[in-house]
Amino acid sequence: MDFSYTILIPLIPLAVFLLLGINYNRIKPAVSGWIGSLGLLVTLVLSYYTAYQYFFVVGKIGDVYQSFATQWRWMNFTDTLYIDMGVLIDQISVMMLVVVSTISFMVHLYSRGYMKGDPGYTKFFAFLSLFTFSMMGLVLAVNLFQIYIFWELVGVSSFLLIGYYYTKPSAIAAAKKAFIVTRFADLGFLIGILIIGYYGGSYDFAVLTDLEGSVITNWASTSFMGLSVITWGLLLIFMGGAGKSAMFPLHIWLPDAMEGPTPVSALIHAATMVVAGVYLVARLFPLYYFVEDGYALNVVAWVGAFSALFAAIIALTQNDIKRVLAFSTMSQIGYMMLALGVSGYSGHDGLGYMSSMFHLFTHAMFKGLLFLGAGSIIHAIHSNNLQDMGGLRKYMPITHITFLIAALSIAGFPGFAGFFSKDEILVAAFEHNKLIYIIGVLVAGLTAFYMFRLYFGIFWGKDTKYEHKPHESPVSMTFPLVFLAFMSVVAGYIHFSEYVTADHMSFEAHLNYPLAAIAVGVGLLGILTAFVFYKKPGNLPEKVSKGFGSLYHWAYDKFYFDELYLFITKEIIFKRISAPFAWFDRKVVDGTMNLIGNSTVAGSEKIKKIQSGRVQDYAFAFIAGVVVLAMIFIYKWII
Amino acid sequence: MDILSLFVVVPIVTILALVFAKELKQSRVIAASGMLVQFLMSLNLIYAYFKEKQFNDDIMVFTKDYLWFEKFNIHYAIGVDGISVAMIVLASIVVLAGIFISWKMEDLHKEFFIALIVLATGVFGFFISLDLFTMFLFYEIAVIPMFLLIGIWGSGPKEYSAMKLTLMLMGASAILLVGILGIYFNSNAGGGNLTYNILEIAKVNIPVEAQNLFFPLTFIGFAVLGALFPFHTWSPDGHASAPTAVSMLHAGVLMKLGGYGVFRVAMYLLPEGAMTWSNFFIVLSVIGVFYGALAAIKQTDLKYINAYSSVSHLGMVLFALLMLNKTAWNGAILQSLSHGFMTALFFALIGMIYGRTHTRDVTKMSGLLKVIPFISVMYVIAGLASLGLPGFSGFMAEMQIFVGAFQHPDMFHRVATIITVSAIVVTAVYILRVVGMMLMGPVRNDEFKGFEKATWYERTGVILLLIPIVFMGVTPIWLSDMIRESLAPFIERML
Amino acid sequence: MRQELVLLAVILLLVILEIFMNNKKALVNWALVIFGLHTLTGFLPMDEGSLFGGMYQTSQLVHLFKNVLNIGVLIILLQSAEWIKKEIVDQHKSTEFFIMMLSSLLGMYFMISSGDFLMFYLGLELSALPIAALVAFDTTKRVSAEAGIKFILSAALASGTSVFGVSLIYATTGSIYFDEVAQLLSYSNLSLVGFIFFFSGLAFKISLVPFHFWTADVYEGAPIGVTSYLSVISKGSAVMILMIILFTVMKPFEMVTTSMLYIVSVTTMFIGNLFALRQQNMKRFLAFSSIAQAGFILLGLLSNDQLGVSTVVYFVSIYVFTNLAAFGVIQSISTQTGKENMDDYDGLYRTNPKLSLVMMLALFSLAGIPPVAGFFGKFFLFTAAASQGFYFLVFLAVVNVTISLYYYLLVVRAMFLRKSDQAIPYFDSSFTMKLGLVLAVIGVLFIGVYSPIYEYIYQLSIL
Repeated sequence: MDFSYTILIPLIPLAVFLLLGINYNRIKPAVSGWIGSLGLLVTLVLSYYTAYQYFFVVGKIGDVYQSFATQWRWMNFTDTLYIDMGVLIDQISVMMLVVVSTISFMVHLYSRGYMKGDPGYTKFFAFLSLFTFSMMGLVLAVNLFQIYIFWELVGVSSFLLIGYYYTKPSAIAAAKKAFIVTRFADLGFLIGILIIGYYGGSYDFAVLTDLEGSVITNWASTSFMGLSVITWGLLLIFMGGAGKSAMFPLHIWLPDAMEGPTPVSALIHAATMVVAGVYLVARLFPLYYFVEDGYALNVVAWVGAFSALFAAIIALTQNDIKRVLAFSTMSQIGYMMLALGVSGYSGHDGLGYMSSMFHLFTHAMFKGLLFLGAGSIIHAIHSNNLQDMGGLRKYMPITHITFLIAALSIAGFPGFAGFFSKDEILVAAFEHNKLIYIIGVLVAGLTAFYMFRLYFGIFWGKDTKYEHKPHESPVSMTFPLVFLAFMSVVAGYIHFSEYVTADHMSFEAHLNYPLAAIAVGVGLLGILTAFVFYKKPGNLPEKVSKGFGSLYHWAYDKFYFDELYLFITKEIIFKRISAPFAWFDRKVVDGTMNLIGNSTVAGSEKIKKIQSGRVQDYAFAFIAGVVVLAMIFIYKWII
Repeated sequence: MDILSLFVVVPIVTILALVFAKELKQSRVIAASGMLVQFLMSLNLIYAYFKEKQFNDDIMVFTKDYLWFEKFNIHYAIGVDGISVAMIVLASIVVLAGIFISWKMEDLHKEFFIALIVLATGVFGFFISLDLFTMFLFYEIAVIPMFLLIGIWGSGPKEYSAMKLTLMLMGASAILLVGILGIYFNSNAGGGNLTYNILEIAKVNIPVEAQNLFFPLTFIGFAVLGALFPFHTWSPDGHASAPTAVSMLHAGVLMKLGGYGVFRVAMYLLPEGAMTWSNFFIVLSVIGVFYGALAAIKQTDLKYINAYSSVSHLGMVLFALLMLNKTAWNGAILQSLSHGFMTALFFALIGMIYGRTHTRDVTKMSGLLKVIPFISVMYVIAGLASLGLPGFSGFMAEMQIFVGAFQHPDMFHRVATIITVSAIVVTAVYILRVVGMMLMGPVRNDEFKGFEKATWYERTGVILLLIPIVFMGVTPIWLSDMIRESLAPFIERML
Repeated sequence: MRQELVLLAVILLLVILEIFMNNKKALVNWALVIFGLHTLTGFLPMDEGSLFGGMYQTSQLVHLFKNVLNIGVLIILLQSAEWIKKEIVDQHKSTEFFIMMLSSLLGMYFMISSGDFLMFYLGLELSALPIAALVAFDTTKRVSAEAGIKFILSAALASGTSVFGVSLIYATTGSIYFDEVAQLLSYSNLSLVGFIFFFSGLAFKISLVPFHFWTADVYEGAPIGVTSYLSVISKGSAVMILMIILFTVMKPFEMVTTSMLYIVSVTTMFIGNLFALRQQNMKRFLAFSSIAQAGFILLGLLSNDQLGVSTVVYFVSIYVFTNLAAFGVIQSISTQTGKENMDDYDGLYRTNPKLSLVMMLALFSLAGIPPVAGFFGKFFLFTAAASQGFYFLVFLAVVNVTISLYYYLLVVRAMFLRKSDQAIPYFDSSFTMKLGLVLAVIGVLFIGVYSPIYEYIYQLSIL
């Protein structure tokens, strides 16, 4: 089966982008909206067709899922190292195709309502297409360099979309922050690639992840500071992944990124781009697992676990609903990371890997839904502060219901998608590392709590008086909500262990009832607390937060990480390093150059008086010259 | 008339035609048409080159050789390989764009275009020469017009900048002269005659001590033009004072003579010297890369920012050349080309912005995206290109350099490489800083609202420069392979 | 001997014409024509030979060099004609100017084709004395007279020491014939001292440091025509004879001469350049620049072979044209407006573009910037020095080239970069002046690029 037609999946959005981008001021907004959405529809159909072909028709030979790569030479480095561009069709890439195309299409539909009347309407759709192109390219990448290339491109499209309201200073700052922080992370990624490329002798995933390949078999041949150089490479690559996926401590850009339009947050900063890190680790999973007995993988697990907890705690305290969702995203991605971290390779050991992908899938659905719902609310009341909300259930029923479904799903309420994926993760964690398991359970509870704090705060709670009465959003916005709500339920019933596994072979995964019971119990506990706190307006929350005292304030101020980074960049780099350099260059280096010139002129000033104008002096000099020369040679001072 | 000499003859003819030009209309049309011919010839040259390469695998093709000074065995010897072809194309495009950008040159327009084209003549002559003497001659011809170009049509402390730039560059070329003489008088080591011909000298092995003596002279002589730290200080002042087209030509083409000369003369003819000295100069170049980027962060004058980023980018070129392997060299050449286009584009845009806002201080501008969208969008693109975004020329050049540099497993090179790589983050910082401050944000002062949109000649110039950037970035393989093939003789010299 | 005789005839003819012609302005033109003819006859082929038992000897190279001198003098006369008609004719001594300059030239002839020290000394004096008169020619100017005194005194001192040196050499060898001395001369302190004394006399004429002090004052005081004569003709011929003597007679001292030239050239280059940096008066400025140039010339003398000789002769002939182009511009401006300071030149290009271009070419040629002749001249001089392995000296020389570039660019800056409201207004020079400038510029443009000239010189460069 030849999957090379899948090259169209990224190329169509690219074409749309160029079309809209080049004549962004000639096309009518309505038209551009249609062009964008139709382009995406084609991509969607192609992706689904590919998924069908792969999973149900040709993907499996025997009981092993094959991977199909089509590639074209892009650039030569050395005789052995080169960059190819191409499409790689295997389990995770196809799964990601489905995720990206689905969410992206929904966001396109949604934006046609949400962005109506915006001056930059066409530009917005152009950027969306650009992002989709980059994301698809990333997903389908055949080698490390291709993934890095599109990695940078999604970075820049995210930059453009966060800075979409480019007259707003906060948006500009957020865009710059996002780009530079991820760029810094990508530095690690790049160096990692260089290391792997040099010691592994190739960038191709096929070669690198080959179980008999040189990298996995003799990673021990090199070592640096006690670790295999390959491990260093993997850690650096994970640094890149952590940057994109907003893992601690590179998470600071994600909350600010909420300055972008809400559909963008849904698409890029919830469902697709931010999980690229997870995807990257999954892509190289054999390396992470086999090299140095999974040393790097352990790091992944702990970073994931810590980020999950860290973000969940902060999410408890935030009032900007989009920021709450942002932190919840971070925490959920932490889940995926830790799932990968605790995963084994073959058979049922690979549960973590499977569940991570599973959670990635379901999370895309319900988190996308949550953001779009939040967008619909913000669209209605023009504020994203929890304090300005309350009692909205009366005004926007559809948003209300869909939001509730999403909340239940993320809280892991039985029967909803989130329940299944999260349960698998906890099982995997339980089987490998108890401590991580406990963290996971704790996070599950916190998640349930802050989601329902949000839910009750928005739709119940105090009956806020709105100056103009909020109303339900147009169908172009509600349809995506409904569709995603539907997905957030049924996605759970897909038997992922059939389709996406570490060792490309299906295995049977069952619910582990005792563990599931614990998780659900904690979840319900969280929901219940939230119910007590926020169902009715009251001062209970304040009391409790007082009880936590400074811890609460720390969490509220996101543990002062922004300030820390600000200090490092502004104070250290700008003031202490860059400014002195600039000064040094102007004063010292350039000064020296000028000094040479000036001293020459000064020298000529000094000797000026020798030319006295009196002939006798000249005569004296004349004779002196003769004598001196004579002396020099008679007494052989020279030669 | 052979295909290469035309590249020198056409400009001279243009100059002669310009002498008779009366007012601006005529002179600019003459200049533009002359350089357009040049541009078309350069395109034709690529085609002819590929065709020639089918059956001719000499190091240099289209070679011609006329005896000039018999006693010194000085020849007018010309020929090109992939590298010089690429450089010639770069030069012709930038010059043409430069002429479009200075379409409205009022004061002494005729003289301006003449000086500009004299410079171009030198550049083209330099790239086609195979004879050190003629090469040196063209090199100086290319440098000296800068004095008039900056001094007469410049702005700010123009006399100081012009004098400084000219003296530093001519001083460097003077040092270079010693190096060239040294090479010349050792060129009979193989028992043959003394010669200036590069290909002849490449056949003999100059005694090692001579190489170690003359390599630094030759290297510095060229590298000053390539903004080698600490001899780069002429470039910020020079660029800041120079008129737009001159900055374009100077940063875009003239500074490339440095890297090209280092490669073609210093390293090709004195390989052992290169090995002896490489580490020392690597340190300097790495300082240049990182330090240029850091210094750029704090600048507020657009031209200074760009000048320092040039120091950083060209430092990367020297760094790559000193890595002494094929991949890095390939990257160095590509970086030269891509930087040539990008920085020319930058200066062109800066010139347009300055022409409207009458300031180059980023802190005084904001919200330009609203008022002059075309120029601003182009600036963003140029910025992204220069911070090495994939899809633009900068990326693949830098990747070649990094992968090439990573071929050295020893600690020294590793550290140097990693420092250089981390410079790309700093680059991102200062680029985004400008984009955020100047282009984005609200339109603060109101006379900005009245700006005229980009005119047709401005657009032409900009597009001319953008096309190669994108082309190189999207399909790098042709160019990089063309250069790769031409690198073989250099590698043989090294081993 | 032919050229000497023809020149003598020319001088006598002028004397006669002086008596019979009343229209002095016309006489000036006639003089120019006659000397022009003499210059042409110089190009007729002539074979080598020697007279008076070797006192007088000539070679193709010397013959060629005399032609160069002729052209130089012709250009000077063309350039001075305007000034003569304007100022001197009324003083009823226009012809003296020609007669004296030509007789000095005659002295140069004899000096460079001398075969023994006596003839050399005769030539030296014959060339020096008329110049003294010429320097003080403009009796209306005080500086001119002062310059004349300074020159005559210094010149007397110089030739005195020189002839003393000769006598010492005679004492050690018992001969004054070059070829005999060449055989008999042996390295002894006495002969060494003699040689150094002798050398100082020529060093004075070439104005090498420290024998250069007269230069600035005299150049400034003398009429510009005379200044340019001093700076090219007398300097050139002195270099020529110095070279001949060094390479033929002083062979035994090669080691000494080498290191001495080394020292002197370095000091000369640096002192000359450092002084030139600050000069405001164009004539002083060029005076010091010409000192620095002399320093460069010595680099060529370091290579005692055909290469060295050819490069020196080549450089000198280029230098003649270059300097005359520069002085021509100065003279035309000074005759028209009487301005001689650098800042008077501000904004010259916008009023007198052609003159400024000539000046720029001349300065670029002096600075050794391609493609004008000076570049080739300097490059080959340095090649000659490098061929003997004096890389460090070459390095010092190129450092000086850079310094000199600075002050040459100062003039370019004044003419092109500066704008000035009291810039020298446009004026139209006389035909003769234009002709003089054109000849010089042709030389500047083509002597370098047109390689056969150098090849020709190289073939003749056998002493």
